[in-house]
Amino acid sequence: MALDIDRYAHTASPLQRWDPRVKIFSMGLLILSIALLKTIPMAVSALLLALVILGVSALPRHFLVHGLSFVLVFLIPFFLIMPFTYPGEAAFSILGLPFAWEGLRLASLIFLKALAIVMITFAIFGSSRFDISMLALQHLKCPKVVVQMLLFTYRYTFVFLDEMRRMHTSMRARGFVARTDLKTLRIFGHFIGTLLVRSFERTERVYKAMLSKGYQGELHLLVTFQSAGSDYIKAFVIISIAMIIMYGDLGGGLHTAEQGWY
Amino acid sequence: MHISEGILSAPALTVGFAGTAVLAAATMRNLDMEEVPKISVITAVFFITSLIKVPLGPASIHLILNGLVGVVLGWRAFPAIMLGIILQAIIFGHGGVTVIGINSLMLGGGGLIAYLVWQQRHRFAFKKREFVFGALAGALATISSGIVLAIALVTTGEAFHAIAATVLAAHLPIMLIEAAVVGACAEFLQKVKPDILAGQQAVKKAG
Repeated sequence: MALDIDRYAHTASPLQRWDPRVKIFSMGLLILSIALLKTIPMAVSALLLALVILGVSALPRHFLVHGLSFVLVFLIPFFLIMPFTYPGEAAFSILGLPFAWEGLRLASLIFLKALAIVMITFAIFGSSRFDISMLALQHLKCPKVVVQMLLFTYRYTFVFLDEMRRMHTSMRARGFVARTDLKTLRIFGHFIGTLLVRSFERTERVYKAMLSKGYQGELHLLVTFQSAGSDYIKAFVIISIAMIIMYGDLGGGLHTAEQGWY
Repeated sequence: MHISEGILSAPALTVGFAGTAVLAAATMRNLDMEEVPKISVITAVFFITSLIKVPLGPASIHLILNGLVGVVLGWRAFPAIMLGIILQAIIFGHGGVTVIGINSLMLGGGGLIAYLVWQQRHRFAFKKREFVFGALAGALATISSGIVLAIALVTTGEAFHAIAATVLAAHLPIMLIEAAVVGACAEFLQKVKPDILAGQQAVKKAG
């Protein structure tokens, strides 16, 4: 499971050189505009745009494919359910189920938009170190305590994941096999309880160590943000594209026969 | 269960973010610096245990465990679940960034309901109390999340009614599994480290 989103943050690219504050802000606007699209042609262009952005980010392909495969699993049910359950006239039937093109269109729209957004999110957070991205969020007026908790949680995730794997290995070594019965569920409950207690006690030790080193609710990084002209040019390009996408979707000639959803 | 990106309309997304902002502000009042690590730990555990697969016949499902977060963190369950969802959106692309609001409302709200249920245990005294109320908390957290999800889908449009019904039906087996796991976990924690559970102080004062 690829949890460390910033594994390839050292890969040099225009995205990586972009001031994270400006990057997160302008890409955020782009994502918002994509989320609200209602027409297939614009959603396809959004997906192509996301591909271009990923190309520019120069992140390794296997890393991206691995991350995106999870998203696909989430989205496939829409294709299986929506065409057959869309109210109204059915074009034809498959195995007695009415098939509606409109349902397929909706499912495709959701699929295209979701994929485009996830790809752009990958490009944003894959191209900066996680702690720097979080610091940038703090500069964008995200509450300090939320940023602190995100940083803590991110760090702990890897530690606890190792712990969980160790515990799972030892369970299997003692002959545990997961079945569909109450006993398995009870064991899972105890497993999670143990994990909680262990993690909790470890964190208490870490927290005391941090306090003794002068922790006062803030992480100090040797990073200063600097935005130059090129940062704002990139932001201008991205925000313009976001506006064009929104305009093409709302006012353009593509807005025919697209009612009935919202 | 998450709402995916690209389904909900702008008003629904806005309602999600507004509701989450209000609940987050309310549940994070008087947050002590010392609580930050505890909340983060539970969030991280919540985050990774959602990777655990439970076999269900030939298929398998993932645990949600928002009820457990409520049982352990009380009101602070809401910010914890919200953080988990933000991280999932950033790292996995599960859910998505524009639906962070509505997903937090859905799962975090379930966590708060779990806490309300969990607190009712003080009114009773029997041997399996922690198991029963843990199980109830787990079950109600899951099903209330399922209901919020279904409502969000139903209000989005007629095209989503069938999906909403499917989703709600799918939550029933998940509810039973969550109940068993959260119940067992609450009972275990009561034995092993009771002060990790939420709302324990009241017990000591009362008796």
